[in-house]
Amino acid sequence: MKKRMKKKLKDTIISYLFCFPAYSVFAVFIFIPIVWAFVLSFTDYSLLTFGESKFVGFDNYIRLFKDPVFLKSLLNTLYYSVLYVPATLIIGFLFALMLNDDFPGRNFFRLAMFIPVIISMVVASIVWMLILSAHPTSLANRFLALFGIPPQGWLSDPKLAMISVAVVMVWKTFGYKMLLYLAAMQNIPQELYEAAEIDGATGWKKTMYITIPLLKPTTFFLLVTSVIDSFQIFTPIYIMTGGGPGYATTTIVNYLYQKGFQEFEMGYASAISYILFLILLVLTFIQKKGFGKEELY
Amino acid sequence: MGMRKKRMTWLILKYILLSVVSFFTLLPMIWMVSTSLEPDKGLESYSLIPKEITFSNYPEAWNYPRLYDEDVTLGTMFKNSIIVSSVITLLSLLFDSMAGYALARKNFPGRTLMFWLALSTLMVPFYVVVIPMYIITMKLGLLNTLTGLIIPFVSSGFGVFLFRQAFISIPLELEEAARIDGAGDFYIYWKIMLPLIKPTIATMAIFKILWSWNMFFWPLLVIQDYSKMPINLGLTMFRGQFVTRWGLLTAGMVIATIPIIVMFLVLQKWFIRGLTAGALKG
Repeated sequence: MKKRMKKKLKDTIISYLFCFPAYSVFAVFIFIPIVWAFVLSFTDYSLLTFGESKFVGFDNYIRLFKDPVFLKSLLNTLYYSVLYVPATLIIGFLFALMLNDDFPGRNFFRLAMFIPVIISMVVASIVWMLILSAHPTSLANRFLALFGIPPQGWLSDPKLAMISVAVVMVWKTFGYKMLLYLAAMQNIPQELYEAAEIDGATGWKKTMYITIPLLKPTTFFLLVTSVIDSFQIFTPIYIMTGGGPGYATTTIVNYLYQKGFQEFEMGYASAISYILFLILLVLTFIQKKGFGKEELY
Repeated sequence: MGMRKKRMTWLILKYILLSVVSFFTLLPMIWMVSTSLEPDKGLESYSLIPKEITFSNYPEAWNYPRLYDEDVTLGTMFKNSIIVSSVITLLSLLFDSMAGYALARKNFPGRTLMFWLALSTLMVPFYVVVIPMYIITMKLGLLNTLTGLIIPFVSSGFGVFLFRQAFISIPLELEEAARIDGAGDFYIYWKIMLPLIKPTIATMAIFKILWSWNMFFWPLLVIQDYSKMPINLGLTMFRGQFVTRWGLLTAGMVIATIPIIVMFLVLQKWFIRGLTAGALKG
């Protein structure tokens, strides 16, 4: 009896030793920070005053909803999301459809669409920044010149800047969406298509009535994760426009960066981060609920 | 016969469409490479096909900028990236698989709670915890060090989860046989279990290498000195200085991209797995 107890104790200790390295990182860099960020959002913590802070109640949150730049950044993020999400999903889906059946050269095309996915966001952003430069000799403007259209300030015109960012991000990510759609298409039983062919269904009908409905779970998953990603866009905007012109492309995370790490108002920035957290939690909740339903039928 | 003809027309149309799209998809990359091979002439000269090819941008970019310190160059930053990526990848493979092993194979009080804790980390967006993360790193005295760059990422709930799933699917008999022979837990984990989940290790390794090579926000916050920057952060710092020297800048970008592209071409199958594994994250 005593021996068994001892063995059990030893087993428990060993198990926790195995968990120790991973979980101590979680504790220090995730669990403590998530609570701390919440606490900070009710203080006026600032690095400029060497971390001295006092409790300010809901002041940061009240200030946020009166802060025109923050409200603009919310709208900008939403605008970006609306531009980016449908485009990347639809384009990803269309190319998955085209590259699903076997034909010579298929792998080359898949590869080509996949290259933007793996290169770094920084490199992609700098390349596009040079291509979309307002200078008449930039690649984009020379392309327009072929059709006699005058040079545009792709990233410096407030009307165009966010659209340009969305185009770059669609370019960067549609290959990934394509890949997930292709993986899901592999799982559609071939017999379904064969049965439909016997019934005289054409390619178009097969897509409409078999492929698209059966890919609904994938579409739903990609839709929610893309919206979640789009709400956290930072790097391409930081590099290509710096949030400008004016505040035309400042998004939630760009504003968080500006407040927290350029102006060092970390209490205020924590309030921004918790609003973002709330938005993302709602989206994740929708995703979990939607997935539960899919599994039922 | 008519059916076949229709199919051929469709195939040809498809080839044309795919070629056009692939061309535009690859265009920024092609333009980057061709600009890096062109002698610097200012803004006017950059065409898609260089009229004159030179490789001199590459050694020059590699030895740039030597600003404050004669020895600090893009090469230094390339080396930093290699260090950061390899340490993050190796440590996270080790730590995540250790925790995954305990969660999958050991029976101990609190196991369910530990499992949910690992899963709950997936719900926490990076940007929500980044401010306290920064303050903690500062208080630990790790700002502006490679250690500070590495340490928050040496384990992930996603990795723990993935390894747990892999270990759970291995038959118990293998482990029991070893236990009867008197093998300890670490021996079983290291010598018996790990070799059985090589595909998961490879998938996770690629996911981590790619992620850590390309990470940007955290280095932007933590690192100030050129001598400690990873290459991707370094490139954004150069952007301002050589805004009219596109040849040099694009050469630097090609250098930063080569390791990823080479890895991708060699390990394509594993790459695809590593990236689709990320989809489980949601």
